[in-house]
Amino acid sequence: MTTHDSTGSRAHHVPRKGPNRLLGLIWAGFASAAVVGALIVPAHILVQGVLGPLGVPSFDRHYGTFARALSDPLVKIYLLVLFACSFYMLAFRVWYVVRELGVPSKLGVGVVSFGLSGAGLVIAGYLLFTGP
Amino acid sequence: MSPLSPRDVSHAQLDGEARATASDRVSARMPAATAEPAIAYPVKQPFTWWTRRRGYLLYMLREFTAVGIAAWMLLFLVEVARMRQGAAGYQPLGGPLFVAISVVCLALALWHSYTFLSLAGLFMRIPLGDRTVSPRIIARAMFGALAVVTVAIAGLLIWGGA
Repeated sequence: MTTHDSTGSRAHHVPRKGPNRLLGLIWAGFASAAVVGALIVPAHILVQGVLGPLGVPSFDRHYGTFARALSDPLVKIYLLVLFACSFYMLAFRVWYVVRELGVPSKLGVGVVSFGLSGAGLVIAGYLLFTGP
Repeated sequence: MSPLSPRDVSHAQLDGEARATASDRVSARMPAATAEPAIAYPVKQPFTWWTRRRGYLLYMLREFTAVGIAAWMLLFLVEVARMRQGAAGYQPLGGPLFVAISVVCLALALWHSYTFLSLAGLFMRIPLGDRTVSPRIIARAMFGALAVVTVAIAGLLIWGGA
């Protein structure tokens, strides 16, 4: 751990007392979200994004079938998990990559990326659970 | 290998001085053997460091997969939002542009699946007696799970629209 994260100035290395539990939790969340996302995301993009518009039946091509699917609470929870995994992966990877590209502020990038991810998840939850 | 010049020797003897290599211009510094806290020097890399090697480029592409996946999810969220307009106003996303975007996002999603599930054997430790399951077996099991889950979800999505 360093007491200063920006470039261009000295920083003293101060050993952290005990494990960084928050960072461990963030990493554990990323590992879980990335595995779940790796398993379920390709099927959605394949069917809804490629095959559906090309004529293969898909549950979101018509209002009736889409509304019927979304009337099931389990489907809503499942789709919320789908959105959560995707947005969390984005936040985590942006958090690291932006810093690797030279942006110095670890806290600022983290707040922005995870904040936008959380906002997206709240919007998704609102649309899913207050819709028809 | 060329012998050390006097300049190199003087650099090597300067304990605690910054030493930069001409190849990567990365400054490294070994702390002096004192009781004071070690001084951490931030590593300065050019913005385009990831274009130097193919491995770096693939790494950045792997990180970029999250952007493609999230972008497609936002498009899906637009469809969910359109549901609020009722049966008369609902129109699913379609057309050649949407299909092209989806194909790109699908490629990124598959790249994420391939790279991350390949790593599964490294960060998953499944005890088996006094040993652990081989990472290769875990990775193969994860790819098998990907195939099964993809078929199952695709079947449900198509069945829901029939």
